Amino acid sequence: MPDLEQQARRAAHHGPWPDLPPDPHRLPPPGDWFASDAALHLLDKPKFCPHCGVSLDRGLISEWWSGEDRIFLTWCAECRWTGNVVLFSRAVIEEPEH
Amino acid sequence: MLTVEQNEELTRVGPGTPMGELLRRYWYPIAFEQDFDEGRPSKTVRLLGENWTLYKTPSGRYGIIGESCPHRRASLTYGVVRDDGISCGYHGWKYDFDGQCIDQPAENDNTAFRDKIKAKAGVAQTMGGMVWVYVGPQPVPELPRFDVYVQDGIRDIGVATLPCNWFQIMENSVDPHHVEWLHGAYFEFLGQVEGFEAPKSFQKKHIKVSFDEFEFGIIKRRVLEGHTEENDDWAIGHPLMFPYGMRVGGMWIDQMQIRVPIDDTTTWKLFYSLHHPEGGTWEKQDRPVVYDYEWIDENGEFITDYVEGQDVMAWVSQGTITDRSQEHLGRSDQGVAMLRKMFKEAMAAVEDGEDPPGVVREKHDIIELPCEKDKFGAGTAFTDQWINGGSMRYSPIREQLLALHRDAAVVREKAGSGA
Repeated sequence: MPDLEQQARRAAHHGPWPDLPPDPHRLPPPGDWFASDAALHLLDKPKFCPHCGVSLDRGLISEWWSGEDRIFLTWCAECRWTGNVVLFSRAVIEEPEH
Repeated sequence: MLTVEQNEELTRVGPGTPMGELLRRYWYPIAFEQDFDEGRPSKTVRLLGENWTLYKTPSGRYGIIGESCPHRRASLTYGVVRDDGISCGYHGWKYDFDGQCIDQPAENDNTAFRDKIKAKAGVAQTMGGMVWVYVGPQPVPELPRFDVYVQDGIRDIGVATLPCNWFQIMENSVDPHHVEWLHGAYFEFLGQVEGFEAPKSFQKKHIKVSFDEFEFGIIKRRVLEGHTEENDDWAIGHPLMFPYGMRVGGMWIDQMQIRVPIDDTTTWKLFYSLHHPEGGTWEKQDRPVVYDYEWIDENGEFITDYVEGQDVMAWVSQGTITDRSQEHLGRSDQGVAMLRKMFKEAMAAVEDGEDPPGVVREKHDIIELPCEKDKFGAGTAFTDQWINGGSMRYSPIREQLLALHRDAAVVREKAGSGA
């Protein structure tokens, strides 16, 4: 019996397969090239609205990348809050001309 | 990147799905008036994952009803069309325009039975040479009379049925950067390889883009290299028409790009163009000219040596339903993320019993939409480039259209010079 997770680790393009908490969401087949990114998305996406604190299960989280930052455009179906939640590894401040 | 479930929610259009419920709040073009000129006065059409029978009565009224007869499920498309409705060809059960059964020839002594039989039905009417249908809940909204459908001019409509979900075509409409690459750099590369000159107006770099929500969708704006915010591309922009269109134009070619969700994996893609150049003259057109544009060759390869062929390649090659759980959006894709959010908001509005964006309740004569006239700063050269380098190259009236715009440009030039 092949070890699907082992296969996924080998196939993952963007890094090791993360350990996932129990989650009802489905994932692409583990052997897919970008399956590890999909798994990381599931692991790291905001779970609760930053504004009203309600679960975002009915909302929408669309992830996009800017340099090393991972940005989650988040919409809450309860309070209709919309904004970007940013996962960053270091803070960079762009100084305007002065 | 989305989860698998979010992707499914955004792309499933059948009855009972959140997106299907949202999409059933709008009118759709589903046929042309000339489809009913000869032969049977009924045809099967597919919309939002369901088959329907569209028919035209002898007095000219259109009706739309679920294709399967509620009796024994035979196709009503093979029925008998009368002024008061359509009868099934199998046993003659007859339905009025609301789908109510009004006759059961073999059950004549039992009116209670026919009273309880009601087929799924919508409403249909014509505008701009097309037959439009609404198959959602009551009350029926007004059919929006957008400018391109009702203004005077010469019309031609390019059509193709594409094997992909409509939503990935919509996402293309909030992705301005693809223009400078797919229609600019890629077109130029192809021209070098295959020996033709690619149009230059699509090659300008984007300096700035923006997306503003408005009552009918999202207005997309761009500042191109060498341009300023004074240019039409920024000052006016053009709208994505929620939930299945895009209004584009330039130099008196005004176009609605229509993406009818036939089902989860099929889209009827129309380029509805209105040609009405200032200074031009034309005879009143009875009906739009309808033509097929080619997007795949005899070897099954995409045809990418024209603008819309390039777009089709991108949409269809993403897969019938693109897997957004494995995509990687960047900074330039923020319009795409914004569009998804807008659809989610609209689904929530429907759940709450509200009208989603773009549903029109007020009677009106015309709805004029913002759309740039000087496209990409290309001036009158743009009309030649669009007609020859776009889907209109397949139009049977292409030469007539080129002449119309060229002659009008001469008239405008003379008027401008005081000649």
